[in-house]
Amino acid sequence: MEEQQEVEQFMVPIGPQHPALKEPGHFLITVDGEIVTNAVVRLGYAHRGIEKATEERNWVRNLYLLERICGICSHIHATAYCLGLERLAEVEAPPRAQAIRVLVAELERIHSHMLWLGVAAHEAGFDSLFMYSWRDRETVMDLLENLTGNRVNYSANVLGGVKCDIDIVQADTIFMALEFLQERTRHYLDVVTSDAMFLQRTRGIGVMTRLQAEVLGVVGPTARASGVHRDIRAEAPYSAYPSYPVRVVCEEKGDLEARFVVRINELFESYRIIRLILEDLPPGELREKMPRRIREGETVSRVEAPRGELFYFIKSNGTDKPERIKVRTPTICNMMSVVKLAIGHQLADVPMILAGIDPCFSCNDRMIILERSHAKQEVWSWERLRQHGIEYYHGNHS
Amino acid sequence: MEIIRDLIALLFFPSGLVLLVLSLFYEWVDRKLLAQFQNRIGPRWFQPFADVIKLLAKEEVIPQGVDRRLFIPLPIVGLAGVLTAAIYVPIMGMAPSHSFKGDLIVTVYLLSLLTLCMGLAGSNTIGRFSLVGATRTLTQLFSYEAPFLLALLGPAIVAGSWQISEITAYTENRWLLLTQPFGFLVALIGLMGKLELPPFDAPEAETEIVAGALTGYSGRGLALFHLGKGVEMLIGLTLIAAFYLGGVSNPLLFFVKTLALLLIMAGLQALLARLRIDQTVGVWWRYGALLVLVQWMVIIVSKGPVL
Repeated sequence: MEEQQEVEQFMVPIGPQHPALKEPGHFLITVDGEIVTNAVVRLGYAHRGIEKATEERNWVRNLYLLERICGICSHIHATAYCLGLERLAEVEAPPRAQAIRVLVAELERIHSHMLWLGVAAHEAGFDSLFMYSWRDRETVMDLLENLTGNRVNYSANVLGGVKCDIDIVQADTIFMALEFLQERTRHYLDVVTSDAMFLQRTRGIGVMTRLQAEVLGVVGPTARASGVHRDIRAEAPYSAYPSYPVRVVCEEKGDLEARFVVRINELFESYRIIRLILEDLPPGELREKMPRRIREGETVSRVEAPRGELFYFIKSNGTDKPERIKVRTPTICNMMSVVKLAIGHQLADVPMILAGIDPCFSCNDRMIILERSHAKQEVWSWERLRQHGIEYYHGNHS
Repeated sequence: MEIIRDLIALLFFPSGLVLLVLSLFYEWVDRKLLAQFQNRIGPRWFQPFADVIKLLAKEEVIPQGVDRRLFIPLPIVGLAGVLTAAIYVPIMGMAPSHSFKGDLIVTVYLLSLLTLCMGLAGSNTIGRFSLVGATRTLTQLFSYEAPFLLALLGPAIVAGSWQISEITAYTENRWLLLTQPFGFLVALIGLMGKLELPPFDAPEAETEIVAGALTGYSGRGLALFHLGKGVEMLIGLTLIAAFYLGGVSNPLLFFVKTLALLLIMAGLQALLARLRIDQTVGVWWRYGALLVLVQWMVIIVSKGPVL
């Protein structure tokens, strides 16, 4: 039927369901032989309406809801929310709580980067690295479980502080695990910078110049691999980061190899910070009392998630429920760079370039504007939105 | 009697049931070794058997837009090709049940038939992944085939015959690995290319094109292709062990040598990252072909006075 078009353009759909994607997203890749000539991205397959759902729940319940935006970097979402809310309520969490927040955040960064290392290696067909890095990641998962009782969605944060304390035994366990991880990480750094076969797949692939990185507005390790010196932990230190300053890890080359090197070097930085915190953990209380109703006002909270800048806008109307919470996850900032960088590369490089930004699809899916033709604005309730979703997808499939 | 002997050779040994069972066993060894190298536990011994039985029992979905006259026979032809090849090969250290002058070429051709069938199977659909996979499968075929054939012909030249039984009689207790190391290397890595094992698994790179040329296949067709690959691996290992590792004159030697080769292959699979298809072609024509040609030159020059 579309034979004419077929001859001109050969399109390979990657997604919504595809072995390369761990979550649903849709990439339509136009290829000429093996060379990519165009790439289109469509997101929104995993939209869950969390922002809307927060408006129906009180401040405390929202903490646990927002933590579930991302399964990998759940703690950092809760941290961003808590920090913003504490600023609104003019409550400051005690220093010990702040330090533990940062500690868990850095442990989470280790687990996220190691997970990414495995996924990216798998995309390149280097399954041995995948298996080994995930085995070692278990170490840090065990640490998190030991600290908070959960492997994912730790819920270490509570409004006004943290839930869990660290005793001397746990600190020792962490020191020992870090020793092991540091040694392994050195090995991985060696592998990704010296394995000739692997370098063929990463060196000079998906090069993003500093200018491109700035224009595309990429964030996090992806930007830092292109020489953009940007890290919220260093630029606008939050929580306990003023006491434990972070050195920003940067690379200049901007290719996939640089993204590997940046993330692995960030692991070393995380080890260093965790050691600093454990050696010098301030004594004191774990939480401050928070009011049930937050006074009217709005605030912005920015934190550095493992994938880059995480942005929270919180607006309170003086009740025990938020008026509006807006979340912007780092993946949405980085996503356009994939489409841009893929052009001119081989089809085989596309999964690698996509993995290079460490995408997290369901975190970045936000409300889509439907019914653009309607000029009138209306506010939907949670039930209405849910009903619409059911009808929308049901209609699409029947 | 002749007919019964032939029937046994075709249906039971060397080319029938025993070969299939043996190839599934080798597949398990490969998977288990790879798993151990990757710090995994790996499948239990019956897993490949269970896979095949499950696939055979499943419904075979014939996708829209394929030519049924090709879709159904292709796996059968491919499997038949490699099973026929087994007749000329000293499986399990037994003498080949059939033999004639030049059967080495026929054997290598029959092994390639499976790859050709897979390429055709991929081209015979409207699925994008299959089409890209088929292109890659055939591209890869053209890159490793010539060096692989040349590497197998090295021993043939020194033996002065292109008949497998005569070559194996010559290589008996002569470790050509020592005199023709390049040939051995190219043959072994060529076999990995033939089987689309990592690092030459671009034609079925799951993170890009799902299952490559065979994406449209399920059930019986997939099982037959799968079996064909296993048999191809076994025959390839047998040929290399017989030619380069001092022969496989009895079952014990056969198992020791082929499993040793499999160990090396599994190690390489664990060690190397996947090559892109253009890099695969580059590796074969820049290094593989060159190495094997140098090997040939050495053979011909050193053999010169004898001729």
